[in-house]
Amino acid sequence: MQTRRQFFRVTAGAGAGLALAQAPALAQKRELTFFSWNHFVPASDDELRKQAEAFGKANNCTVRVDTVAHLQMPAKIAAEAQSQSGHDMLRTASADTFLYENLLVTLDDLVDKLGKAAGGWYPFAAEMNQTKSGWKGVPWFWVSFPGTYNMAHYKKAGFEPPKTWDELLKQGKVLKKQGNPVGIPISHCSDAHSTYWSVAWSMGAKVLEPDGKTPGIKSEKTERVIEWYKELYRDAMEPEVLSWDDAGNNRFILSGKGSWIHNPISPYNSALANKQPIADDINHHNSPGGPAGQHSAPPILGLGIWKFSKNVELAKEFITYLFRKENFDAWIVASNAFNHPPLKHFADHPIWARNPKFAMLPKEAEFAHPRGWPAHPNDAVQRIDDNYIMADMVAKAVNGMPAKRAMEWAEEQVARAVKGQLKVS
Amino acid sequence: MAVGQRVLESAGFRQEPGRLTRLRAWWEQEHVFGYGLITPALVLLVCLVAYPFGMAIYFSLSDYWVGSPGAFVGLNNYREILSNDVFRQTVQNSFVFTAIALGFKTVLGIWLALLLARNLRFKRLLRGAILLPWVIPTALSVLGWWWMFDSLYSVVNWTAIRLHLITAPGPNWLGQTAYAMTAVIVVNVWRGLPFFAITVLAGLVSIPREFYEAAEVDGASSWQRFWTVTLPLLKPVLAVVILFSTIFTFGDFNIVYVLTRGGPVNTTHLFATYAYQIGLQGGNLGQGAAISLFLFPMLFAVVFLQLRYIRKE
Repeated sequence: MQTRRQFFRVTAGAGAGLALAQAPALAQKRELTFFSWNHFVPASDDELRKQAEAFGKANNCTVRVDTVAHLQMPAKIAAEAQSQSGHDMLRTASADTFLYENLLVTLDDLVDKLGKAAGGWYPFAAEMNQTKSGWKGVPWFWVSFPGTYNMAHYKKAGFEPPKTWDELLKQGKVLKKQGNPVGIPISHCSDAHSTYWSVAWSMGAKVLEPDGKTPGIKSEKTERVIEWYKELYRDAMEPEVLSWDDAGNNRFILSGKGSWIHNPISPYNSALANKQPIADDINHHNSPGGPAGQHSAPPILGLGIWKFSKNVELAKEFITYLFRKENFDAWIVASNAFNHPPLKHFADHPIWARNPKFAMLPKEAEFAHPRGWPAHPNDAVQRIDDNYIMADMVAKAVNGMPAKRAMEWAEEQVARAVKGQLKVS
Repeated sequence: MAVGQRVLESAGFRQEPGRLTRLRAWWEQEHVFGYGLITPALVLLVCLVAYPFGMAIYFSLSDYWVGSPGAFVGLNNYREILSNDVFRQTVQNSFVFTAIALGFKTVLGIWLALLLARNLRFKRLLRGAILLPWVIPTALSVLGWWWMFDSLYSVVNWTAIRLHLITAPGPNWLGQTAYAMTAVIVVNVWRGLPFFAITVLAGLVSIPREFYEAAEVDGASSWQRFWTVTLPLLKPVLAVVILFSTIFTFGDFNIVYVLTRGGPVNTTHLFATYAYQIGLQGGNLGQGAAISLFLFPMLFAVVFLQLRYIRKE
């Protein structure tokens, strides 16, 4: 039997052995780390990693691209911001640049250089990255948010794709009776916001006043938006829209049941990639408009560099490398037209014009705005989206709450989101 | 050696003990050694429990945003969340969720344990299999449930429609308030049941057979045997299991996050998921911490009452 003393001797010896067994410090090669999302078109990430490897070889460093599901990004980014450690670079979305304004490197020179070389930035993509203290991100790409419809169901009903939201409502009523409802998520997912902003703007409603501080929800126009949603929900959709995640509408149109959704081109691309016959029936058209014109709220993504990074210059070089025309083009092709360039000259890529199902997509840039418009993007807008306020307002209304009360609820929630303005320290 | 030393000492040679020996003597004193043994556990507790807990209290009393420390604001965050109806809804959800799930887990857990205590064939295999829901990583198994409740491809609805139990298209499990709450409770019960059953089973097998034999001799029916022998003797075990389960259920995150993300219209948000949404997704650490700390006094009361009850027993 072992005595206590022997036991300690053995364990202490083992511990010391383990400590000694540790390898000496490895020869240090610079490593640039980049935190991004799992792209909805995986081939796009493959191309990104290929370019990262090529850049690493040319610059005697390694570039590590870590990707996670898009819904997990906000928490992970918050954790890195809080602990002041993690990756060197990150993919920003929506108003992240405003939320982390004081923690991101100012990129004015880089943005200026890249912009001048390629015809300038689209204003909506620029606004998303331009804070009061400078450019906190390089606009990376935006995602067009067109109408996606099933041509066979539309042909059967004798309809052309809708030009306005009201027309969609009329068509939806018939299409639902035909067994092919339309689908817009009214749930805790980001597609629900994208569509809400678009519908609201087209009907002349807003969420914030131009000063970015005053809630601007309570109005007859918002009431009209809510009534439109209620009618669409009741007569043209099915209750499943209340439970959708971001892939809910994709599954809906790919199952062959749905006739119309408002979404990026990912369902079509995934049908093509999986050789699903439904790809032949799916087509796209520009996002519908309304009495106040045509408006779109596309997801806008950027590239930021943390101030705590020790590789700021290397990260800037890597961004410059990604924006070389040949690299950006290869990346657009890999995404099969999903990634839209924020630079005007890059938008001429033939991939859109060549495919009649994509030809109208670049036009979306002409009526795109950052969320929060007519207010300048700010962190409150991010919180409005993060807390699903607009989706919940609509969900309350379609579940029976009077439109006025739903608006009051949302107005109060927006006031809360505004109150918590992030201070630049 | 001891004898040798004594001989040397008696001969007038007094050997000074070496430094190592003195250190050993010091270390082996009862009170030093005792504290030495609990120090690692104490360090872990301080670093992983007390420090984060203290930080959470500090966050909740300040206007702290991610990466941006804020001023002390007193109880402002608490006042703010109490006036927010989404939070009030969350409190209500948490109580409904915990009460119903716990009720089902207790009744079904005892029932399952009684079944498992019988001399069944493949007893060991069955007892092992019962534990599966508890063993599989929750995020993974809940994804399976998420598919089963999917609005378009729900196997639950498909089966019920084929069996003519409901008419097509069937309930929208994750999109309608009552159904969504039912769905998250069902999954919580499914996951928590094995813990209940196996622990209660351990209590059951420790009840001496003689009590049952005596009851049988007295002519007690099986129901009377359960009511007067099994249940009273199970009480201490049950109290502990219910205590643990209350804590787990109140603090659940995975199930709601994967199935509904708090929707529809925040009707399935629990403290943890709402704190995550406000604190991490929205960056408002101060309020996020205040929300999750609301859990503390309630759990503290539950733990206090139950432990007192157990001690009395």
